[in-house]
Amino acid sequence: MTAYDVMPDIELYQPATVEDATELAARLKGSAWLLAGGQDTYGWLKDRAKTVEAMIDLKGIDALKGIRETPGGVEIGALTTLTEIVRHPLIGERYPLLREAAAVVASPQIRNMGTLGGNLCQDTRCWYYRRGLSCYRAGGNTCYADSPAGMNREHALFGASRCVAVSPSDTAIALSALEATMIATSRRGSREIPADDFFVGPDVDIVNMTALAADEVLASVRLPDRWANAEFHFEKVADRNVWDFALVSIAAALRMRDGHIENARFACGGVACVPYRLPAVERAVVGKPRSESTGEQAAHLASRGAKPLNHNQFKVPLMENLVRRALRG
Amino acid sequence: MEIVRYREDVWGREVLLGVSWDLLWLVIAATFIVIMVHAAIMLARKSGPRPSADGERLSRHAAQDRWFHWITAAAFFVLLATGVLPIVGVKFPWLTAHWVAGIVLTAAIVFHIVRSLFWKDLAAIWIKPSDLAELAGGAAAPLPGKYSLAQKGMHLAMAVLVLVAVGTGIAMLVQIDTPWWARSNFLSEAALGWMFLLHGLSTLALIGFAALHLYFTARPEKQFYLRAMVKGWVSRSELAAHHDPARWTPDAAASGDAAQASPGLGADAR
Amino acid sequence: MSYKHIGKDFTPPDIFGKVTGKAKYAEDFTADGMAYARLLVSPMPHARVKKLDLAPALAMDGVFGVITADDLPPVEAPNGGILTNEPVFIGDPILAVAAVDEKTAEDAIGRIDIELEPLPFTVNPTDSLRPAGPNARREGNIYAGSPPQVGELHWRQDEVERFLAGGQPSAEAPIEWQYGDLEASFDNAAVILTESFVTTGYAHMSMEPRSVMSYWENGKCFVYGSTQSQSFIIPFLAPMVGVAPEDLVYVSEYCGGGFGSKIFPYPIMALPAHFAKKLGRPVMLRITREEEYYIGSARVGFQGWIKAGFAADGRVSAVDLYIVQDLGPKRAGGDASSAGGAVSILYQPEALRLRSVPVLTNTTPRGAQRGPGQNQIAAIFEPLMDKAAQELGLDRVAIRRINAPDSNAKLNADQGPVTSAYMAEALELGAKRWNWAEKVKRSGRRRGSKVTGIGVGQGYHAAGTSGFDGLVRITPDGKIHLHSGVGNLGTYSYASTTRAAAEALKCDWSQCEIVHGRSAAHLPWSSYQAGSVTIFTHTRANHVAALDAVAKLKEVAAAALGGQAEDYDIDGQRVFRRGRTSRALSYGEAAAKAIEMGGKHSGVEVPEDIHEVTKRAVAGIAGTGLVGVAKDTLPKRGTVPGFAIGFVEIELDVETGKHEIIDYLAVGECGTVVHPLGLANQLRGGGVWGFGMATTERHVYDPQNGLPANVGFYQCKPPTYLDVPSRMDWAAADIPDPDNPVGARGIGEPAMGCAVAAVMCALSDALGGHLFNRTPVTLDVILSHIAGLPPTSGPLAINTF
Repeated sequence: MTAYDVMPDIELYQPATVEDATELAARLKGSAWLLAGGQDTYGWLKDRAKTVEAMIDLKGIDALKGIRETPGGVEIGALTTLTEIVRHPLIGERYPLLREAAAVVASPQIRNMGTLGGNLCQDTRCWYYRRGLSCYRAGGNTCYADSPAGMNREHALFGASRCVAVSPSDTAIALSALEATMIATSRRGSREIPADDFFVGPDVDIVNMTALAADEVLASVRLPDRWANAEFHFEKVADRNVWDFALVSIAAALRMRDGHIENARFACGGVACVPYRLPAVERAVVGKPRSESTGEQAAHLASRGAKPLNHNQFKVPLMENLVRRALRG
Repeated sequence: MEIVRYREDVWGREVLLGVSWDLLWLVIAATFIVIMVHAAIMLARKSGPRPSADGERLSRHAAQDRWFHWITAAAFFVLLATGVLPIVGVKFPWLTAHWVAGIVLTAAIVFHIVRSLFWKDLAAIWIKPSDLAELAGGAAAPLPGKYSLAQKGMHLAMAVLVLVAVGTGIAMLVQIDTPWWARSNFLSEAALGWMFLLHGLSTLALIGFAALHLYFTARPEKQFYLRAMVKGWVSRSELAAHHDPARWTPDAAASGDAAQASPGLGADAR
Repeated sequence: MSYKHIGKDFTPPDIFGKVTGKAKYAEDFTADGMAYARLLVSPMPHARVKKLDLAPALAMDGVFGVITADDLPPVEAPNGGILTNEPVFIGDPILAVAAVDEKTAEDAIGRIDIELEPLPFTVNPTDSLRPAGPNARREGNIYAGSPPQVGELHWRQDEVERFLAGGQPSAEAPIEWQYGDLEASFDNAAVILTESFVTTGYAHMSMEPRSVMSYWENGKCFVYGSTQSQSFIIPFLAPMVGVAPEDLVYVSEYCGGGFGSKIFPYPIMALPAHFAKKLGRPVMLRITREEEYYIGSARVGFQGWIKAGFAADGRVSAVDLYIVQDLGPKRAGGDASSAGGAVSILYQPEALRLRSVPVLTNTTPRGAQRGPGQNQIAAIFEPLMDKAAQELGLDRVAIRRINAPDSNAKLNADQGPVTSAYMAEALELGAKRWNWAEKVKRSGRRRGSKVTGIGVGQGYHAAGTSGFDGLVRITPDGKIHLHSGVGNLGTYSYASTTRAAAEALKCDWSQCEIVHGRSAAHLPWSSYQAGSVTIFTHTRANHVAALDAVAKLKEVAAAALGGQAEDYDIDGQRVFRRGRTSRALSYGEAAAKAIEMGGKHSGVEVPEDIHEVTKRAVAGIAGTGLVGVAKDTLPKRGTVPGFAIGFVEIELDVETGKHEIIDYLAVGECGTVVHPLGLANQLRGGGVWGFGMATTERHVYDPQNGLPANVGFYQCKPPTYLDVPSRMDWAAADIPDPDNPVGARGIGEPAMGCAVAAVMCALSDALGGHLFNRTPVTLDVILSHIAGLPPTSGPLAINTF
């Protein structure tokens, strides 16, 4: 039913340590909601589109906050707010790509509250799914967005498998381009998950957008030295400049040598359920200068294999244009 | 434990979602128990001497039918693995393999039906009232023709279940995008729920029957049937021990490895 | 003319509450024993309640009761009932549950067993007009006639196809008016433009949802609501809640935005009162954001066809306009005729024909939204002006000047007069201020992937009425109480109109106190706070009330100090004898004397012609001071026009479809400026909303199931601060209107219309004159055009693009 907007009764847990949090996550597996900044929480719960019995509030765990230098790069606690990331000098100096991505998330107010972990783990914005309908992603057996007259302007070009929802995260594509790894922790121990494996498409798991198990907590994100101080390009195209989700976005990391691209990573947002890497573009640009003509040559490779839906054909030229712009520099 | 799962349709009405996968564990447990009980009974029973595989070889399954069987079996196991593993928590991209295997299975079945209708002795597999005498068991029971009542029953059950699974699978296939079509709204949400339910129920039953089929195939006294399905022949002694030659008079198998022979259509059509 | 208050900034008294958070909006009120109500709304676009089992909900602890349509007075279709057993859109309220708190009420709603039978539905008017098209209501699919009622109209298939293909519509249109000789005027045209167009509807999405709290006490009904209007609400709300107007106490001191959706009492507003009566306890109904989308109204959509002829000199010779209106499922309309009216005045065509088909759809109910009709057509017609200018080799401002209405302008079907109009002067002022001649040269300039677009657009709305009452009171402490029955919808005109009274009383503003916001504060009968009417209408009412007070001050002074009233004058809060200024009474002394004298001077006697609401207000304050009260009977010799002109420079990125507004100037042609800050905010705020209408805001419905896509605030996409320039310039022609004592005319709605039009023109300009002929022009529409992609929706798609 529609129009709820009333918080149900939920048991609240406020652990102060990671151990307590993972213990709780293991114990309450499947019935608990992990709460970070809360920016993609209360809508679900108040509208009763998702029902949980308990909430594990991670905000009291200091160990999950902060940005620190590590031998291999920089580690960002999952509970670090987006505003802190935007303002942190280490990020600004070495990984401005992430700073730019974090700086265009939602609105200033949401960035003050929202965390990196929350931004990465947020659920898709497919409006049918958000409405609380029992679609594939909600455990049902149909997709409304991909139906013959479905309204799917914001939906996927690639990797759709029954569900055509896209990843809404701005920071996810930056982290994919930066070859970041996610540290998932649970009572069973910690594991390091490469960004490209962290995000999961509907072909593999139609009800979850990340590889996190029900008892796992995203503890931190590691940015490797490999891409520090590379050349970057980030761009998000949305209807509005603020409080909006990418129709298409792009994050590119380019390692240059003698005026030529030695190595490159491209990831697009808003076109697939995961940050959509552009391997064909990455291969094509190696050894070429960062220029208009390189962009021109590579752009069409970006959209190869795209399967537009009723209302999202425009994403194809948009995506190609963003690749052009990334290579234009 | 729930048997059927429900969900709300786009307008908030309760519709079927599908079978409850809790039943999967029930089916596995029940099948396991049946097999264990049967194995225990058989173990307790004194088994007589096994008929010799030597001697004259008689044709039981033509090459086409053996190909059909093994293609069907392969498709079946791909379907089972791609359909059930994700449900039990093994995550991988399963859908394309699932429906491709489903199409292979469907094609095989169509081939089999056409062949059975026009080139084979359909009566050989059909359960007749006279077959029921086999139920008596022991020495009093008559020996069967080409197929025992149990084999006919298994075939009938598998045929019905597979047809249900394939039929509902095709209906579900129309509801997803494939290289040949974009999904349609051909089924209402309520009808789609029925498809999922029937597909799930037939899958569960197939898991049970397939397990029994495998079990019986693996039983020592019935392993010659497996060889027959691989190589095509049974020996004269096996025929005599398990079948009534009056009810089934197979031709001699072609010389050499029957699997490589070309018995020709109708070789077992008796 | 030099004024003491008019044309000067001041601080309206409600600002403090707003910026400190101390302001109490409807949902901030509580009462002892208050129950919280929640709504169960329809999940289907059109349905009938087949089965309803309330028992499980009523059995719950903490649940006080349930109210359904059966408990409420019946309403004739398609008027909006409070609750319904036959919902006609997703979100239509079916019942409400009251409980000890909202959670319990919501839990109870979850336990109600309700079964609905789906009925045919449509989200597209032209689909409904097809030969066997679905009717949005069982009663029919159009709302027309005189008086309007629900009827049924289906076109022939070829008529539908022709309309969708852009051919001249020939199908029956229930609304038609015309003036002039259309054929002859088209014959005289040097350029004829014919276009099909769509302006899709979209939600008002007022910031403050329409929450209401009500209770009954000693036969009086107290309602705390959120409306644009204040006194105007009383006679309409009273029958809705079933009480005599004098027994209704209505509080709406603050209103967090209405935009046309809270002009009149709306159906749900009466629910808590009925529920409170049923339960015998106060009831608070907080409306959620999603419910606000559903029941908070939306703009009427247009699917239209237009043919416009231009003479060789640039004059608009003839306009033929055909509009299929998307009315939603309930009573609405008027937008199409208003669109015709706007064309008739802004371009003064020799001949004009308007035909309209008002079609019902199962989308959210529609209502007036800032410039209803005028702003839709501004978005479509103004780019046509540019195209005509191009074909005739005229400058775009010049072609507007050629057609600009002056004080001899005529409008509407009856070609009636206006009180005044100075659009040529306003265009000249704007062009100069904005440096049009230079900036227009940037048109089409390319910087990388960005192209400059220059646009000018005009907006219009009738902006003033008359016949309402003013009320001022001077108390013995010398305070001047300016009673304002105008609602506080956020424009501050409830306050700025009282400046006309202060002006006439020649008093210091520090001595004035504005009384407003609650009927119990004795407020006069006032116009609806909408339709851009307030400034014109209530400066007049305040003026006449102040004049009445001045006359009484003089009479009181004469009585106290000798001589005749005519011998006295006022200034500096004193009434004094001309030539002998020491013979004077302070206003406070005069007030005391008025109380002593009684009768009309202290409000014990009132004029016959004032409204009952005002009579009751005066009765409440009678004997407490010198009372000035009067009905506005000043002459009004025609339609009071409000005009605005927007000038905009954009940079459109052809690779992303995004545009940036570089520079915006809004020019108001609205008579004398009464409150510069207020006017500036109207022009800027209207501008922002206009940008939204032009490029982002729209309804999105799934035609397969009637589901609305954008029920949330973020999904509706009004522009944010960071989507618009940090500085937006404004100017005003500031030429007084002769029919207003301070020269003022209204401005609210044109301030938005001109911005929609300007941006539409600028987008077209940036793309070499391509006409999109629809609102909004979202970035995907731009990208698809540039990439040459086929349209994603069918022709004239509305609600589905």
